[in-house]
Amino acid sequence: MSRQKYLVKKIAWSVFTILIVLVLNFILFRVLPGDPARAGVRDPRLKQEAIEAIRIRFGLDKPVINCFESLNPIKFGSCTVNPLDTQFFIYVRNLLHGEMGISFHLQRPVGDILAERLWNTVLLIGSGQILAIILGVIIGILAAWKARTAIDYTALLGSLLAWSLPTFWLGIILLFWGSNHGLPIGGKATPGTSSLPVLQQWGDIFQHMLLPTLTYTIVYMGEYMLIMRSSLLDVLSEDYILTAKAKGLSTFQILKDHAIKNAMLPLVTVIAINLGFTVAGALQIEAVFSWPGLGGAIYEAVKRRDFPVLQGAFLLIAVSVIIANLIADLTYSYLDPRVQSD
Amino acid sequence: MAVQTAELKPSVPSSPLLDFWKVFSRNRMALVGLVMLVAIIICAIFASQLAPYDVSTSENITIHDVYNPPSATHWLGTDDAGKDVLSNFFFGARISLTVGFFAAFISVVIGGVMGIVAGFYGGRVENILMRFTDVMLVIPDLPLMVVIVALTKPSLLNIIFVIGLLGWTTTSRIVRSQTLAVKSRKFVLRARAIGAGNNHIIRHHILPLVMPLLVVNAILVISLAILNESTLSFLGLGDPTALSWGQMLNFAFGRGAMSAGAWWALLVPGLGIVWVVLSLTLLGHGLEQVLNPRLETHHLKPGKPVLKGEFTEQRRIIKKDEAPVLLDIQELSINYLSGGNPPARAVEKVSFRLHKGELMGLVGESGCGKTTLMLALLRLLPAAGQIVGGKAYCLTSDITAMSEAEIADIRWKDISIIFQGAMNALNPVRTVSDQIAEAIIKHSPPMPRQELDNRVEELLDLVGIAVQHKDHYPHQYSGGMRQRAMIAMALACDPKVVIADEPTTALDVMIQAQILELLDNLRHKLGLSIIFVTHDLGVVAEMCDSVLVMYGGVTAEYGDVDTIYNSACHPYTQELLKAFPDLSNPEKRLASIPGYPPHLEDLPVGCRFAPRCPKAFARCVSEQPALHFLGNDHFASCHLVEAS
Repeated sequence: MSRQKYLVKKIAWSVFTILIVLVLNFILFRVLPGDPARAGVRDPRLKQEAIEAIRIRFGLDKPVINCFESLNPIKFGSCTVNPLDTQFFIYVRNLLHGEMGISFHLQRPVGDILAERLWNTVLLIGSGQILAIILGVIIGILAAWKARTAIDYTALLGSLLAWSLPTFWLGIILLFWGSNHGLPIGGKATPGTSSLPVLQQWGDIFQHMLLPTLTYTIVYMGEYMLIMRSSLLDVLSEDYILTAKAKGLSTFQILKDHAIKNAMLPLVTVIAINLGFTVAGALQIEAVFSWPGLGGAIYEAVKRRDFPVLQGAFLLIAVSVIIANLIADLTYSYLDPRVQSD
Repeated sequence: MAVQTAELKPSVPSSPLLDFWKVFSRNRMALVGLVMLVAIIICAIFASQLAPYDVSTSENITIHDVYNPPSATHWLGTDDAGKDVLSNFFFGARISLTVGFFAAFISVVIGGVMGIVAGFYGGRVENILMRFTDVMLVIPDLPLMVVIVALTKPSLLNIIFVIGLLGWTTTSRIVRSQTLAVKSRKFVLRARAIGAGNNHIIRHHILPLVMPLLVVNAILVISLAILNESTLSFLGLGDPTALSWGQMLNFAFGRGAMSAGAWWALLVPGLGIVWVVLSLTLLGHGLEQVLNPRLETHHLKPGKPVLKGEFTEQRRIIKKDEAPVLLDIQELSINYLSGGNPPARAVEKVSFRLHKGELMGLVGESGCGKTTLMLALLRLLPAAGQIVGGKAYCLTSDITAMSEAEIADIRWKDISIIFQGAMNALNPVRTVSDQIAEAIIKHSPPMPRQELDNRVEELLDLVGIAVQHKDHYPHQYSGGMRQRAMIAMALACDPKVVIADEPTTALDVMIQAQILELLDNLRHKLGLSIIFVTHDLGVVAEMCDSVLVMYGGVTAEYGDVDTIYNSACHPYTQELLKAFPDLSNPEKRLASIPGYPPHLEDLPVGCRFAPRCPKAFARCVSEQPALHFLGNDHFASCHLVEAS
């Protein structure tokens, strides 16, 4: 398969997956009792005109989609409707315009709220993920190199233990410990610091990030360590390592030039597959530390039954994960020469 | 003694279950996990008996009971509602485990069925099911769970179903690939050939082999389900009437345990979750090691130190040849050590000499110690291997006495090696030229890039690889080309000795002939000294100057090629020659040697070939023959030779 074909196939697949998420999101929020549009309509605080505006925006008077009047699959409707004039396409069109409804609680467009929060999540996941990967890979290399020694067993047990920790609970424990040691108890910045010089503001954010990032790193480091260890052990038993040794290369050279790169390749795929879990971790951490990210948005939306925000946040997270996955796939194809000619 | 153990063996009852338990009980990790799991299950089952307080009523609870620290009356303190944390812990175990097990059951059934159906039926069914799995795998499951549970009623049953219905993706993938692997096994094909139906095959042949893997995966799925349940509960989506560990944490965290400093209310339920998940993780990890023991040959493990056995300098191998001696191997012995078992004597007192320009054939059946001997010459033995005696001189320096740094210097520069499978002997993610250049850089003084490139091109040209292929990756080469590249690499540093360890196995016959021709040409062109390890006596007769025949780790016969072919003394050599077609006498029947070579852990007391030897007599069974010098550079280890 040529490189271009591979790219096209992967991108097409991601687009298809995003479509499925769109449909899933649509069905979930229309079928299940908490339909944001209708819940909005039922809200007694709203005036008649507002209700009318919502009905028009979501197209609630229109059929769900061609041939189906409602989402009851047994109840058929007319198939001759203009497909662009159905609830589903109005929903898709609204999304394409970045319109995801108005938050019940904050009375602001969901799109605006999420846009602010997306970067906070990226900041948290990014720093945590980078630390976890670096530490996990280093410890994994050490453990595989010194396989079946005390170093290996300690690293292995430590990783299994870290893997077994519920993320939110580790966060709680660290928060409990940190709040007794002068660290901030949550949020992204201390209120009232926005007038301070930039450097001090950053210092403040750094302090707030310390514990969430630490939680994140501990929880995910173990997994990367386990994968790196087993991947490197596989590579170290390959014939080409023996060849490298026969060539007179030192242990360091063999690890650096022959083993680690090969062992890192599967890790790229695993990082991609893990992105879904990664988001799960961010959700919990943001809930515990009141970090103003997407996960925190979901947590608050759940508590306040703020469905437009919940729907939007879920969609944004799912689409981000799919795209990040695609990027990881493409990176892998660059790193591994074998992929291009499969 | 030997007779006794032989009698005892069959009397030990052996069932798959018992065997499994034996291995399992030796895996400490799995055992610890199992004990931990059983302990917490007992806590859950006997919660009502174990709990010191009845947590279902709020009678007699006052405002003063809220968040009391651990004391004699409440060992683990009280929670936000003034209830006993220890009692809640026991009842919480019940709920957390129930949710975990039931949700995992749903996931494993769905994933198992999908995996088996996809793997077994293949085609479009597989395509659709696996595409669906891929999509579900990408969609982040916790946010999806949160959305669904938030939109439905937060009841325990709902949570079980949501976790169960979203947690099957890994199971489906693992089961499918295992089913695919099992499907093409012989007995399944045979069952199909005799007309067994799909149902029968799945139930009686596929399922039993997929089961072990499914169990390991199920354990992982249970732990994930328990983590997910606690997370959902903590996020406030749990059943408020069912106080699981996650729910306990939700209440404590949301109702001021943090500001009240009530660490016990936060610590205890979390430790419960960690305990269960850790026990499952240990169990799963251990089980996987038991079911799928990976015998890693770890090439970076430091080799065992060389042992100096008793050794008397006996320069018995004296050749009239004028050419300088490059390798002088004297009574080299190598053992493989495995745990407490007696060592396997892989190579015992083997001696030979290699002169400049000589091509020596090393012949013997698989497992006779040929490769072990060759690896020892470069001190590349696997971690279990150990040189236990003898000397190996390369020119004047003893390889067995060298430090790791000294040996690294000898490798490739003085002795290079061409491995059996060039397929795996080249690094798949680096270009061929890069791998050749690497050897040159290691052993030569620094040279400009251009000179290095020229040298690599020259080497590739030597083995008949066109320059435009030099920056290709190994997978872009054919099998024959890879072996040529390997040969070019072996010549990169102008080595004094090249070891070719069965360089033509796994190649088809035409390519084999080409590679052999190439080696023969190179040898004459460059004046190489080669040790050629092979099964093929025909090649030996055609190319080699001298022959070393090994059997069961010892020298059977050693001499120049004419002597060995025309007047072989050792019955093993004679039998080997009979097993080989004779061009001058095509009518002759080929005879194979009945029986199998000895196991190195269980060598006979006498001559190692005695059990298969047509000429064996009483002495052969009781006494190991010495290596006898027969004149004319000819050696053989056989009692018959001594008698004559």
